[in-house]
Amino acid sequence: MERRTFLASLAAASAAGSLPLRAEATPAGGRITLLHTNDTHSRIEPFGPGNGAISGLGGVARRATLVKHLRAQLGPVLLLDAGDTFQGTPYFNRYKGRLDYQLMRMVGYDAGTLGNHDFDNGVGLLLEAMVAMETLEHANPPFPFVNCNFDCKGAPELAKRVRPYIVREFPGVRVGITGVGVAFAGLVDPKNHAGITWKDPYESLKPMVKRLREVEKVDLVVVLSHLGHNNQGGSAPCDLLLPGQVAGIDAIIGGHSHTFLDAPVRLPQAQGETLVFQVGFGGVNLGRMDFAVTKGAVRAASGAAIPMVG
Amino acid sequence: MKPRSAPFLLAALLAVLPLGAQATVKAQVIPVGPLFAEDPAIQKVIAPLAEEIKASFGQPLVNAPQGVFRGRRGEENLLGYWVADVMRLAAQGAIGAPVRFAITNSGGLRSNLRAGQLKVGDIFELMPFENELVVVELTGAEVIQVVREGLLRRGGEPSSGVLVKVEGTAEKAVLTVTWEDGKPIDPAATVRVATSDYLYAGGDSIPTLKKGRKAVTTGITLRQMLLDECAALAKARKDLLPPPAGRFTVPVPILEAIRDKKLSTL
Repeated sequence: MERRTFLASLAAASAAGSLPLRAEATPAGGRITLLHTNDTHSRIEPFGPGNGAISGLGGVARRATLVKHLRAQLGPVLLLDAGDTFQGTPYFNRYKGRLDYQLMRMVGYDAGTLGNHDFDNGVGLLLEAMVAMETLEHANPPFPFVNCNFDCKGAPELAKRVRPYIVREFPGVRVGITGVGVAFAGLVDPKNHAGITWKDPYESLKPMVKRLREVEKVDLVVVLSHLGHNNQGGSAPCDLLLPGQVAGIDAIIGGHSHTFLDAPVRLPQAQGETLVFQVGFGGVNLGRMDFAVTKGAVRAASGAAIPMVG
Repeated sequence: MKPRSAPFLLAALLAVLPLGAQATVKAQVIPVGPLFAEDPAIQKVIAPLAEEIKASFGQPLVNAPQGVFRGRRGEENLLGYWVADVMRLAAQGAIGAPVRFAITNSGGLRSNLRAGQLKVGDIFELMPFENELVVVELTGAEVIQVVREGLLRRGGEPSSGVLVKVEGTAEKAVLTVTWEDGKPIDPAATVRVATSDYLYAGGDSIPTLKKGRKAVTTGITLRQMLLDECAALAKARKDLLPPPAGRFTVPVPILEAIRDKKLSTL
């Protein structure tokens, strides 16, 4: 446990060490840290013993402490989630996702997206969980959901809560955040996504990124993706192929495939690069990516997974 | 944190971070201790709920002296066999007629059953979904096709009522499916099949299940069905034991070809 604590602290510290600790905003630039989870699957408490290498890791209360600490240390921080918050422990069966989303608000999430399992109890109960989070009395504001490839016209209450993108402003950095979800076919029972139609994520993202760059004038484009890291030669859209299909993305925060990465995969682009990251599942790790931006372009970027040890 | 870890961390940070003054170093070390402690406000919300969960999910169910496991790659999914067996029996009970075949999806089994006294919560972790037991009619030929589709997609989805054998090589694989007693399956015969509403609706890409006729939705969730089975075993003073292996025989090179998506026909 001591060694683990040390390693975790080292990961957190060295990620911080690669860029100056405090954001130094200048008129032409600034810094932002993205903290992220994916596929937390109702893992409210840390994994118990008997779970192999992930025994004792995770837990929402522990994540809250680390996030609070990093926000105090770093200033400009966004806490984001790449979907599949629901399903996996008795907490979900009992509280139907209301507790998961409420705790996310208490921890201070800035945005999330929807994974296939978030539809496991249908659109009605997904909405109830969102409303329970919105109506909670808490100092933190409710967080929005972002997705640009679900056509929610047939589910107007959900459509109100799922935005194609959001923009967040920090000293010297404007950040645009959008999201994409995996195809329902074969994963979500049609009655559970009634009123929502899946559209191609690449084609849905292209106009979204263009809008964020050209109209919203953001410096950093972040995609919360529940497509999966790698489709292993198949035809399904995935995170590793996304930057080749849609130009102008700086960071992909991935989910769905439960892929444990120690650091983001860096994919060079015609201009700059895209960092593709995913941190396993169950809140075992917290992902961290740091970006320094000057005049609308990323000058430096780094990232690491922080194991959530007790 | 144990007392000796603090100097250890201090040394580690000194080694890693290019921090000069001693005072600065101390300022960095202080937050490391509570960094991974639990946030009191969040913990206050969780604690009473955890107690509630524990009270209901901590109730003992049945003893499983060997545990029941999904198996690593190349091993058979005995946990899946058990679930499929229980599905077949529960379906027979629900419709009052013989059910020859049952199939579930390995991806829907979310946790192993570890050796020892099982609790209600263990079954919730194994089967967190609200999926329901469904009975449909298929022909013998369709049953074989369902098995084939499960093999091509995942190297075989857990089934009950059949013996499955793949022989040959990845280039030329030959599939043989018989009833569990070794008797041949009449392709033209109509049989009853138990599955979940998820698979019947086309989940996990076993399209032939969708052809199922005269579907009966039983109203029994797979989880409740498993809870009832455990309770019945305990009442009869029996242990929960894994079903015997030998239901699926698939050579490792063919399993690897399936995994690498190099086997398109079978």
